[in-house]
Amino acid sequence: MIAFLSTYYDAIGMTPAGILTTIFGSFCVTFVVIICWGKLVEDFGPAGGMLSAAIIIGTFWVVNHKLPGFGINPDCIASPDGGIKQYGMIYQAYRGACPWVDMGTTIAIGLWCHSLFMGKPGERLALVRESLPRVAALVFGGIIGGAILGLISYSGANLFGG
Amino acid sequence: MNWKRHFSTAIGGAISGAACFAVWPELWKSYGIMGGFMAATIIISIMWYFNHWLGVVENPNGKIWVDQGFAISAAGIVWGVVRLDASFLQAIPTFVCCAIGGVLAAAAAVVVKQVLPRYNAGANKS
Repeated sequence: MIAFLSTYYDAIGMTPAGILTTIFGSFCVTFVVIICWGKLVEDFGPAGGMLSAAIIIGTFWVVNHKLPGFGINPDCIASPDGGIKQYGMIYQAYRGACPWVDMGTTIAIGLWCHSLFMGKPGERLALVRESLPRVAALVFGGIIGGAILGLISYSGANLFGG
Repeated sequence: MNWKRHFSTAIGGAISGAACFAVWPELWKSYGIMGGFMAATIIISIMWYFNHWLGVVENPNGKIWVDQGFAISAAGIVWGVVRLDASFLQAIPTFVCCAIGGVLAAAAAVVVKQVLPRYNAGANKS
C-alpha cells in the first residue's frame, strides 16, 4: 500500500498520494468557501467578506500551499527524489516543476459549478451561456496580469533568487 | 454598455492576479507560514472588496457566480510560465485534480445546504 501510494508516475507527474491530497485539499477549501463566505457576508456585510478572506483563505493557504521557510529556506528544501519537498495538500505536479496552480482554481470552479447546480434544471444552459463571456474576460485579465508580472524576472529584480 | 462591464471584469482580474503573485511569494519567503497568512489577509480581503463587494467583476443577481479565483488561477499559471520558465502542459494534472475536488465540493454543498439549519431558516423567512 505504501509502495503504491508513493509510486511516482512520470506520465501524470504525480503519485497516487499526491492525487488524493490534491483532491481532498481542494474539496475542503471549496466546501468551506461555499458554505461560510456568503453567510459571513450576510451577517457582517463587507467586513464579513474581508474577515472571511483572512480566516478562510489564510487557514486554507496553510493547508494547501504551505512550504517550509521562515526566511531561512526561500529556495525550498530539495527532495532526495528530485524537485522540492512539498508540504501542502495541493501537490504541484512534476515534482514542483509545474507552473503554480493556485487554490483559486478550485474555488472558482467550485463556486461556478455550485451556482450551476443550484439553478433551475431548465435554465442551466442559458446560465452557462450567460456566464462564459464573464469567465473569458476574467481569465483574459488574469493572463494579462500574470504575464506582465512575470516579466519582472527579465528586469533582473529577483528577490531571494526566486 | 456591455463591453464596459467585460472591460471592468478584465481589469479586476488583471489587478487581483498581479497583486496575488507579486506579494504572496515574497511575504512567504520573508516571514514563512505567518507571511502566507498575512498575505491572504491583506490581498484577498482588499481584492474581494474590490472585485465582489464593489462589483468590479460583473456578477448579476441570480446568475452563475464568477469568482476572482478564475483570474488568480490564470495569473498563477501564466506567471509560472513566464517568470519561472515552467511548461504550461505540466500544470494539467494538478489542475484536473483541483477541478475534480471543486466539482465534488460543489455537489456536496448542494446536499449539505438542504439540511443546514441556517440555510433552511433563511429560506422559510423569505
